[in-house]
Amino acid sequence: MIIKDKILEVKNLTHYYGEQVGCEDISFDLYQGEILGIVGESGSGKSTLLKCLSGQISPSQGIINFCIDQNQPLQDLCKISEQKKRALMRKEWGIVQQNPRDGLRLRVSAGGNIAERIINEEIKNYSNIRHKALDWMDKTEMEKSRIDDFPLNFSGGMQQRLQISKILSSNPKLVYMDEPTGGLDVSVQAKLLDTITIIVRDLNVSMIIVSHDLAVVKFLTDKLLVMKSGMVVESGLTDRVLDDPQHSYTQLLTSSILQV
Amino acid sequence: MIDGFNFAYLDEATKRMIRRTILKAICIPGYQCPFGGREMPLAYGWGTGGIQVTASIIGMNDTLKVIDQGADDTTNAISIKNFFKKVCKIKTTEVTENATIIQTRHRIPEKKLSEHQILVYQVPQPEPLRRLEPKEQETRKLHAYEEYALMHVKLYEEISHYGSVIKTYAYPVRTNRRYITDPSPTPKFDNPKMDFMEALQLFGAGRERRIYAIPPYTSVKSLDFEDHPFEIQTWDERCDICGSNNSYLDEIIVNDKGEKKFICSDTNYCEKNIKT
Repeated sequence: MIIKDKILEVKNLTHYYGEQVGCEDISFDLYQGEILGIVGESGSGKSTLLKCLSGQISPSQGIINFCIDQNQPLQDLCKISEQKKRALMRKEWGIVQQNPRDGLRLRVSAGGNIAERIINEEIKNYSNIRHKALDWMDKTEMEKSRIDDFPLNFSGGMQQRLQISKILSSNPKLVYMDEPTGGLDVSVQAKLLDTITIIVRDLNVSMIIVSHDLAVVKFLTDKLLVMKSGMVVESGLTDRVLDDPQHSYTQLLTSSILQV
Repeated sequence: MIDGFNFAYLDEATKRMIRRTILKAICIPGYQCPFGGREMPLAYGWGTGGIQVTASIIGMNDTLKVIDQGADDTTNAISIKNFFKKVCKIKTTEVTENATIIQTRHRIPEKKLSEHQILVYQVPQPEPLRRLEPKEQETRKLHAYEEYALMHVKLYEEISHYGSVIKTYAYPVRTNRRYITDPSPTPKFDNPKMDFMEALQLFGAGRERRIYAIPPYTSVKSLDFEDHPFEIQTWDERCDICGSNNSYLDEIIVNDKGEKKFICSDTNYCEKNIKT
C-alpha cells in the first residue's frame, strides 16, 4: 500500500472518565477501502473508542490523524475547528447508530432523510435530489414506493437500511458502524449484511465496525482489534485472529460462539 | 416626564439598550440579536416586541401608523396606537405615505415604502429553524456555520407530499445571502416587497427577546428549488369594495348560507382606491 491511501492514523489514544479508564493506549492505521472490526465484551471500551474517533468526545491523550484531502498530509482531529469537524461529520464521515431511531429524523419522510445529506452538497434542484434519493433506496434494496413514508412506520431492518442509505448518499470516506445489526432477527441481519458488503466494496469506503457479534465481524471485516478492559489485547487480520487466537481472552471469545 | 411616564413609556436606559441592539442587528442583517426584553402593559403575543422597538426609536416629530393584518381599525392596531398617543403625545395616521414609523402585525402595506420610513414588525417566533431543531444551542450553531440543509429538507418534504411548497406565511427567506430569516407571519405575498426595500425593517420578538433587522436596499430571497421556484398567492376574484385585483385579499363569510366575499386586507389602500 502507498502512504497516500492511508485515511486514518491513531496513535496512543487514551481516554479517561475521571479516574475510570475508557480506553487506553490504542494505535492503528486504516487504509482506503479497508474494513476494521472492533470486538470485545460490554464495557471493554469499544464505544468510547468509537466516540473518540468520530469526534463526539475529545480524548484525554493521543493523536487521531484523518485524511481530509488526498493531496494534503493527514490532519489532527483534535486541532481542527468545530465548524470543520461538523462539515466532516456531514460529508466525509457517517455514523451508523445501533438504534436507527437515533440516526434518522422519524417525522421526516424516507426521501427527506436521504435528501438532507445530499442537499448539504449544494444541490438545489428538487428532481435531482429526489432522483438520487430513489437511487439510494434502490441500492440498499428498499421499496422505492416507500420514499414518502415516515421511518416511524418502518420495520427495524428497513430503518437500518434507510440509515445506511442516508449515510452513504454523501459518498463518505469513512463510515463508523456501532452494532449495525444489533436487535435484528437473523434472516434480516443476513440480508442487511449482504447489502452492506456489496455497497461498501463497490464504493471503496473504509469502515470501522464495532460489534460483539463475531459472526458479523468475520463476515464483514478485513482487520480486527480485540478489546478488553479498555486495552487492545490482540489485533491482526480477521481470519488469522479468529482461526488462531493467541490471547487467552480471544480464545475464550471464539470458543464462546454458540453452535447450531 | 409626561403624566407619570417617561416619553414613550420605557426609561431612557432601556431605550438606549434596545437602540444598541437595533444597531447591532442592522450591522448583521438577519441575525437575531438577544436583548433584555421588558414587561410591557400588554400580554405576550400582542406585540410586546414591536412596541419596545417602536418606543426606542420614536421621536416627538414622528407620525405613527399601526396595522394589524393590514387593517388600521382592528383591536390590536387601535390599542397600540392609543398607547403611543398617550405616552408620546405624537401624531398618528392611517395614511401609509404620511407615516414615518409603521408598526405592523402580519402585513406589509401595499403602497411602496420610502427611505424616510421604518417598518416595525411584531414577531411571535423569530427562529425559522425552531420547528425543525428544538435545541436553541444547536440552532445557533446551524446559523453560525451556515448549515441550512434542514430548511431545504422541509421544502423537499412539502413538495413530496403535496406537490408544491404549501407554506403560505412566515415563508423563510435568506437575508443578504447569509442568514435565514423568518419574515414574521406575513403572507408570502409580501416576501418580494422585502427584497431591496427602501425602508428600514426592524423585527421585535418580545417573548423570545430577540431583535433582528433588514437594512434598506438589502437582498431578501425566498428559499426555493430551481425546478420549484417561489411563487406568491393569486386570486381569481377582485376586492368587493374597491375592485382591486393586485392586492392581498381576505376571504370573509358574509351570511349564514356561507356566501363569501373578498376584500383588501390593507384598509388604507382600499379606501384610496375608492376615492380615485
